[in-house]
Amino acid sequence: MTSLYPGFRYDADKEAISEARAKALESLLIEKGVITGKTVDQVLSYFDTEMGPFNGAKLVARAWVDPEFKKLLLEDCNAACEMLDLPNGMSGAEGEHMRIVENTADVHNVVVCTLCSCYPWPTLGLPPYWFKDPTFRARVVREPRVVLGEFGVQLSDSVNIRIWDSSAQIRWWVLPMRPEGTESLSEEELAKLLTPEAMMGVALVKAKSE
Amino acid sequence: MKLQHNLGGLEGLDPVNTEPRVFVEDWEQRIFGIHTAMMALSNHLDKSLPDYDISQVPSTFDSFWSWAHLREGAENIHPFDYFRLRYYEKWLGGISGFFVEEGYITEDELNERAALILKDMADNKSTELPEGGDPAIDTQVEKYLREGDSPKRSTDITPKFNVGDTVRIKTISAGTHSRLPGNLQGRIAQVMEVYEESYTYFYETADGLGTPMPVYNLAFKAEDLWEQSLIEPGSIYYNDIFEAYIEPA
Repeated sequence: MTSLYPGFRYDADKEAISEARAKALESLLIEKGVITGKTVDQVLSYFDTEMGPFNGAKLVARAWVDPEFKKLLLEDCNAACEMLDLPNGMSGAEGEHMRIVENTADVHNVVVCTLCSCYPWPTLGLPPYWFKDPTFRARVVREPRVVLGEFGVQLSDSVNIRIWDSSAQIRWWVLPMRPEGTESLSEEELAKLLTPEAMMGVALVKAKSE
Repeated sequence: MKLQHNLGGLEGLDPVNTEPRVFVEDWEQRIFGIHTAMMALSNHLDKSLPDYDISQVPSTFDSFWSWAHLREGAENIHPFDYFRLRYYEKWLGGISGFFVEEGYITEDELNERAALILKDMADNKSTELPEGGDPAIDTQVEKYLREGDSPKRSTDITPKFNVGDTVRIKTISAGTHSRLPGNLQGRIAQVMEVYEESYTYFYETADGLGTPMPVYNLAFKAEDLWEQSLIEPGSIYYNDIFEAYIEPA
């Protein structure tokens, strides 16, 4: 991928230059004792294996099968995280103060950060490209139904949309609706149906994972 | 304010790009990791709620680095560049510039090293990263990831506004860095929640953030934000707003 927005002209070797400059910076910082030769890999591994959307999926699946847990998750997301066997650090970096909002038959929630990319790292991992793109951030706050349509989400006209922007210190995410036809699924099977997009409100959960 | 402070509701843009990957080029992962390490090694962490003994961590990093620093780097650039550059390209520029300004590296050093790496890439050779470093640095990075840096602070401040109050967003200059979306300036909202205690922003902005202050969840009706023909009927826009940005309606 050389360009995500075709309106600008870019140097053909733009990515190679960025790759070289990032590597040059990391090399110099290691040599000068700012970080170690393992620091960056350790950070990336943390988000690959410990803090990612698999945590959010477990929380949502539990909420779907356990009304008491769902109540706690909606009232105090950080406390609910402590009830499940999740990695140590659910209230760590970018998860210090998390809130979740519930989709219902009448209300659909979508989360955005118009100023940057605030995202609940412990429950959802790192933000996808679409969440950081200025076009999404500019448009979803005013024309959410049109933007959701571009993600393939068609909502009934009777559903009201709520948009949650993140300009201060709370990190928001979405408790999606449990799809019909999943009554026989186990909690583990339900968790597999969830995606980061569903847990930020730009996708609906489908009964079969694809 | 700059256009990047005022993205909300721009008209006439293209369809959204629904790309689900976090990193669209491998190098983007490296600059993300460097930023996160800087957050974990910042000298302001000695005043944070977790018991970081930051002055004892054997990293040569001895600077203040927070989200505000990273965001200010992106907000400070020319709007044309803001939209021309991809998300992590802005990070790479801002973070590299910070290390040069703070004297950890020189611009020449960075350019020379990058030129060597580019030459290796052209020759299909992979440049190995240096090895080693004190493992206590990585212990602190992991501690930061797991314990974070909560901005919540106990103060004796009484919030100026209450749940149910109708308030107005101030009209102010964004300066070089702001946490107020520009399109909200002058708009009316209702207080939905007064968050418990106060929240710091760690970094002092020209528009009034920095010291702990109350934060409110505000609800804005679509018709109070946009011209009637542009709105999504029945939609509500919520945002968490620092008290410094709010005045009585």
